[in-house]
Formats: sequence, C-alpha cells, structure tokens
Amino acid sequence: MMTTKEIAIPLTSPESPLFEDFFDLGQPDSKSPFITLQSRGWGIDLPLRAALVAAFLLALSFAFSFFPAYLALSNLLLVMVYFLAGTPSLIESIEELSQFEINIDVLMTLAAFSSVLLGSGMEGGLLLVLFSVSGSMEDYVSAKAKNSISSLHKLSPSRACVVESDGTLIERSVKDIAIDTRILIKSGQVVPLDGLVVDGISTVNLVHITGENLPVTKKIGDTVPAGARNLEGTLTLSVTHLSSDSTLARIIDLVTQAQEARPTLQRWFDRLSEGYAIAIILFAFLCALVIPFFQDVPYLGHEGSIYRALAFLIAASPCALVIAIPIAYLSAVSVCARQGILMKGGITLDALASCTVMAFDKTGTLTTGELGFEGIELIGRDIYAPEHLKRALEVAYSLEKNAQHPIAKAVIDYAQRQNVSTIAIEGFSAIPGYGLKGTARFPEGPQQVFIGHPEYILSEMAEDARTAALSQIGLIQERGELIAALLVGKQFFLLRFRDTVRPEVPGIIKELKKEHKLRLVMLTGDYENSARKIAAEVGLDDYYANLRPVDKLAHVSYIAAEEGLAMVGDGINDAPALARATVGICMGKVGSTAAIDAADVILLHDNIDLLGWLLKKAHATQRIVKQNLLLAGLAMILASVPALAGWIPLWLAVVFHEGGTVLVGLNGLRLLKK
Amino acid sequence: MSHSHPHSHPHSHFHGKNAIEHVAEAQAEGIISSVEVHGTEVPGHITAAADAARDTALVLLLVGTLLSPLAPTFLSLIHGLIVFAVGWILWKSGRSAWLGWSRLERLHRVLEQEKWEIEHHREQEREELKVLYAAKGFEGRLLEDVLDVLMADGDRLLKVMVEEELGLSLHSQEHPLKQSLGAFFGSCLAVFLLLIAFYFTASIGVLVTMTFLVMGCCGMLLAYKAQNRLIPAIIWNVAMGMLSYAVVYFLMGYES
Repeated sequence: MMTTKEIAIPLTSPESPLFEDFFDLGQPDSKSPFITLQSRGWGIDLPLRAALVAAFLLALSFAFSFFPAYLALSNLLLVMVYFLAGTPSLIESIEELSQFEINIDVLMTLAAFSSVLLGSGMEGGLLLVLFSVSGSMEDYVSAKAKNSISSLHKLSPSRACVVESDGTLIERSVKDIAIDTRILIKSGQVVPLDGLVVDGISTVNLVHITGENLPVTKKIGDTVPAGARNLEGTLTLSVTHLSSDSTLARIIDLVTQAQEARPTLQRWFDRLSEGYAIAIILFAFLCALVIPFFQDVPYLGHEGSIYRALAFLIAASPCALVIAIPIAYLSAVSVCARQGILMKGGITLDALASCTVMAFDKTGTLTTGELGFEGIELIGRDIYAPEHLKRALEVAYSLEKNAQHPIAKAVIDYAQRQNVSTIAIEGFSAIPGYGLKGTARFPEGPQQVFIGHPEYILSEMAEDARTAALSQIGLIQERGELIAALLVGKQFFLLRFRDTVRPEVPGIIKELKKEHKLRLVMLTGDYENSARKIAAEVGLDDYYANLRPVDKLAHVSYIAAEEGLAMVGDGINDAPALARATVGICMGKVGSTAAIDAADVILLHDNIDLLGWLLKKAHATQRIVKQNLLLAGLAMILASVPALAGWIPLWLAVVFHEGGTVLVGLNGLRLLKK
Repeated sequence: MSHSHPHSHPHSHFHGKNAIEHVAEAQAEGIISSVEVHGTEVPGHITAAADAARDTALVLLLVGTLLSPLAPTFLSLIHGLIVFAVGWILWKSGRSAWLGWSRLERLHRVLEQEKWEIEHHREQEREELKVLYAAKGFEGRLLEDVLDVLMADGDRLLKVMVEEELGLSLHSQEHPLKQSLGAFFGSCLAVFLLLIAFYFTASIGVLVTMTFLVMGCCGMLLAYKAQNRLIPAIIWNVAMGMLSYAVVYFLMGYES
C-alpha cells in the first residue's frame, strides 16, 4: 500500500512570481517579482510609451518654435525630447563604443547630438524620436517571440511524483530524477518525463505531441512521452529519459533552434547598416581632417571643414532609411490586423512574398479538428431493423453524455441534433484504457452495454464473429475513418467518425494554385488512409502522413532550405515547423498557445480564406519597401553630398533630408488601403 | 539584459566558508540590496512623497532667503522661486525613479545569482536550506522531508531562498515610476503651500513658518510609516531645518 508524505509547506500563491518568465523575457520591470502586483502595470511597454511621449513633445516644440515669444518654451520641450529619447540612445551608444562596436545606433546618436552643435536641435530630436520608436517596436516584437519558449515551459510539469522503494510517494523536481526511477501519473495529470508503463492501464491524450486530439490506450510495456495528458486511470512509469532529454524538452529545443536559424531580412539590414554607419563616421572624420588640405577652407567656423563634416553626418544619418521599412510594414500590419490577421513583425510580409511553397497541417487547419459522426453499423447481420440502430444510438448517447473526449463529443452532438432519447444506465463504470460500461434498463429487461475500444470486445467474441468484425474494421479504416465499438447485450455495433473538412478549404486551395502558382503540400501526423482521403477531398496532390514533430520539422527544413516555405498549422506538434518555416501561419481560435507563439502570422478567426489576400498584401508591401529604400537613398545622397561640398547651406540640406523622410512616410501609408 | 553566469567557479559558491557563514553573508547582501533610498526603512510612493516635500520646503526657503536681497521686486522673487521649484521638482521626481531602478537592478542581480546557484549547486543549496530550517527547530526525518519538498519545485525553492537566505521580500517594492510620481506630488504640494502663503502675505516669516510646518508634518508621516516615535521625529526634523536656515540667514551677509 502506498502512502503519501504530507508536510505543511506553504505553497506559492496563484499570483506568485513566475521566475522563468522574468528571466526568459530579459528581466522586464512589469514581470519583476519584487514589484507589487498593483504597480507592475507602470512598467509595461515603457520604452514605447516614452518614445511616443517624446514624439508628442517634439511636435509641441516644433509648433512653439514659430512664435518668438515661446522660443524658450520650445527649447525646453526639445531638451525634454533629448532627455526621453536621447538618454537611452546615448547610454546604448557609449556602451557599444566601449566594446569597440560602431553601428547605426552610434551614427544616429552622434548625428543627433552633433546637430545641437550646429544649431539644428530640432532635426536631431526628430532623429532620436524616430529611432526610439522603431527600436521600442522591435523590443516589443522580440519579447513576443520569447513568449513561445515560456508557454512551452509552462506546459511541461517541473515536478513528478516519485514512487520510493518502500512504496511511499514523494514529489521531486524533474531535474533530480534519474533514468529507471518510478513515477506515478494520476488521472488528469500531464506526464512530466518520458517513461515505460510498468503498472496500470489508462488512456492518454497526445494532442500536445502529435496534434491528433484522440485518446490512446497505454498499458504495461507501452511508452508514454512527456507532455501527454493522462485521462482516466493511474499509470506507473519507469523513466526512460532525463528531463533535459525528454520529448517535450526536445520540442522546446527544436523551437529555440528553429527560431534562431530562421533567416530574416532584418539581419541583412543590421549587417548592412553596421557597414554604412562605420563608413559614414569614418568618411565624415576624414573629410573634417583633409578638406583644408585640398580647399581653401579653415577647420573651424561656419565655412570650416568640421562644420561641413558635421553637416554631412546629419544629412547622411539614415532618417528616411530608418522610417522606410517600418512605416510600410506598420501600415500593412495594421490593415492586416483590421482583417483579423495578426503578425509578429512586419518583416514577415517580406518573407511571405518570397514563398513559393505552402505546407498545411491537416487536423485543425484543413479540417475543423473536431470529429463528426458518420454512421453506425451492426456487425454480423446483413439485415436488421432501423429500431436496432435507434436503440444503439440511445445507448451510445446515454453512456457518453458525461464524457469529455472527442469521440464522446461527436456522439453527443449527433444525438442532440437527432433528438435521440436516453436510457437509464445502472452500474456505470469506466474501464481504464478501454471505455465505459454499465447496465441499460430496457423495458424488456436489463442488458450489459459497453462503448469504447474494439479490442476490449474482440477478445471476448467467438472466432467467426471476430473475423467478420475485423474485416469490417479494416474496411472502415481503409476509408480513413475512425471507429468506436458499441456492445448492446450480444449485438456488436461499430460507430464511424471522420474529421470534418472546413467548407472553404477546397476553394482556397484552388485559388492558391491558380492565382499564386504555389506548390501546395499537406504534412500530418495522422494515418496514411485518412491523410490520402482528406488530400483528395480538398484538392491537394502532395501529402506526407505519419509524421512526428521531428519529421515535420525535417520536411519543413528541407523545403525551406531550397525555397521560401509558408507553413500553416495549429498544434503544439506544429510549433517547431512553424518556427523553422520561412513564415509560420497559425490558426488563432483552435491553435495551441505554443503554436501561436512560434508562428509569425496568426489568423485570429481561423480565416484561412484570407490567405490569398494576405499574399497579395505581402507582394504590395515588398514593392513599397523597395520604392521607399530607393527614395530614402536618393534623399540622403541629395542632402549629404552637396552639404559636404559646401554647395548648399545646412538648412537646405535639412529640407532635402526631411523632404525624403516625408515622401517615404506618405508612400508607406498607401498600404493602409484594404 | 544578458544572463551571464554570476560565478566563474564551477564547483562551489561557498568560497571556502561553511553553509552558515555563507547564509549570513547572503543575508547581509540581501539587506544591502533592498536598502531604502529615501532615508527611511519603508519604501513606497507615500514615503517618496513625504521625503520630497520635506526637502523641497527646506530648499525653497534657503533659495528664497538667498534671493530676497537680490530680487528687484517681490514678483520677480516669486517668479525666480517658481522657476527654481519647477527645475527642483523634476530633479526630485527623476532622482526618485532612478534610485528605485538602481535598487531593482541590485535586487535582480542577487536574484539571478541565487537562481544560478540553485541550478548549478543543488547539493550546496540543500545544505543552506538545512541550516536555515534547522535553526527554525526542524530536525531528523521531518527536516529531511521538508528539504525534499522544497527542493522539488525550482520556482518555490528560489522564492524560499530569496526570502529566507537573502532576507528579501517579494512583491514589496513599488514600481520606480509610481514612486517617482509620489515624489512629484510631494514636491508640488510643498511648493504650492509655501508659495501661496508667501505670495499672499509677502512675509519671509510666514515662509519660514510654513517650511517648518511642512517639515514637521513630513517627519511625522515618515516616522509613522516606519513605526517610530512621532514627537522626536517632528522635533528633530524642525530642528535640523532651523539649523540649516540659520546658517544661510546669518552667513549670507558676509562677503569674502
């Protein structure tokens, strides 16, 4: 007999700090465990709020600058702008310089603060505001990406109930549990470590691992992966892998690696901007030094080389370039949000435009993810009265009406739609791993009834009846349907179920093939027969079945290495593939938290019919980004070269510079149209 | 912020000391990290407000005393004091926020260090827990059971170690911005009371009286929050204010 140690240790309250969250997200104030719960809100998105306040103050400062009486106030407001937007940039730049790093942050900060020396503080303020807004948006997006790992960690239990050699139970951290340790999994618990069943029988749901929301029976000798949810009985497992090596840990690793390996335009832009910054700073420094040798100009004064070099530095600061990409993406992202499509970073649109292949998960993406009741058959008799089926349905409904799993839900939904009545069941009990049984009180007398896994009934059937049943089961499975067995007295019924295809999917597949010339493929963890049937039904030519998360990731990695791949999915098993794909698209309603976090695009209302529209918007965004980059480059050249040569005064250089910025901004706003 | 390992030594964070010495050292570090920045034992926006109001009242009196012989008119004196007060209020608010963030940075650093120790030196952490719970009276099998339960959950263990070993309280600090807002309102209130009274009476005596009134009240509030004796707090605050004022009043006439 097992005993449980009960020690009164105060457990953490539900509001207790989640240290993992705090560390995973880079120690944000809003998650600090030391700050009172009431005042945490003060720290949410603080850099973004500071940048927006700075932008408002800059606008005020600009307005006041037209009134000589309020010039002092205008200057004061400008100082506040430098305080809010400039101080963080200055700290960052000095820290980077101390590590011998010169990048666009350093160039912008240098240009902004140099502008004060030239009496163009407003220009510098604008640089700082634009830069801090774009920087804080980037922080916001990267914090969202880190959430994916956090939600996967939350899924994985940190403790396990260890069965000691004397039979006592004690909770231990999964980190302290060695291979071959015995752990107890009670009903409703998530399996914390991979293990082999050494005692007990139960059904588990592997939706987190395979994506298929179906109960699977586990008995002595079967393996159970970490992350599975035990649905009914109690299982004792012998641990087969350490926590760092469990199935769930491997999925977390896969997501992390996939996120890091994802190619992004942003990295290219960062590398380019680093080179640009070094070149501009060096060039300005060089000009300040050598211009007096070639031209008759002094070092100091308004005509001096230092003044010209600083003017060049300001004019060449990538103000329009900084705004060129974000304004286009922000406009596109905002119009997508209005359509119910959320995006983690506008750069996703660029990646989406490069996709030539689109891969779909099956369950929950092409199908609704819910089972539909297809029909019922009496096995062993060719001719039978409809009353037999009606009674069988009444029994199935009466047995399943209090159960929760997907098959039960399908039976209940069908029975309620058909107004099926119930029958009183006595002696109701669950057979762990197999199903439910009881005694039905029919008017003609009581009868034993059972619903659940066919294996339970088959073992007790006569040889010829079993052969007939097995042959019928084979035929049904060949059609890609799922089955449940129902026994009413001596009568054996098979209930058939099928995953339901979303009605809009065949039309979308046709549109994606015809208009966007995409190669389409289905990747599923489901069986071959079921996969083939669904692929044919929705109009897909390519499909891969029986895929585990790691297989899906391998397929996605293989395709993504060759060409742009958009992966559409919903389950936790899809999370690594969604993160690794060029663009991961997740269903928002049915999608798991981990998949939503790992994806780049979330279809909030599962509006898969908008995929075509989204692709068109991505191509439009790419066009406008290119136009903006060209405009920004031209504006910088037009402003900086003449300023350096001394052909135009600083104010005219500023006008060119700002003109380019405004033009780029207006061009980007065109994407706001639906 | 980067998450570098706080320790370079891979095997021990006791550094040649035994568990009890390490715990005592860690508690001292925790106390230093959580020390209040406004000169009292109780952190929070109310404390920040009282502290800022007290400082603002005294500084305004001292500046007013210095400016009064220099200002051509009474209104220009008031104007000078208002402008000074605005700058001062911004400083007090900003300083309060900055000190709050500095304290948080210190606290986060010790938290990160403790997390690292829990993840990498589990046996030593168990020893530390043993010392702490043995001191509470646990012994024998019960002590071992308590340690087993505490070691089972990483999050809970970190919470226990932060509270028991480092002597820190979770969920106890106001956000620096909220504290800063307290300092802002405290300074504004002091400025408002002093300048309104001074403007309508044009009497330096009233300014002096209002200053000591504000200082006394703030001293009392801070003592109340720290659960100290009220009367000594009021008298000491007023006395220190008077001493400062006397220095300025009697020495400002001397020129080098």
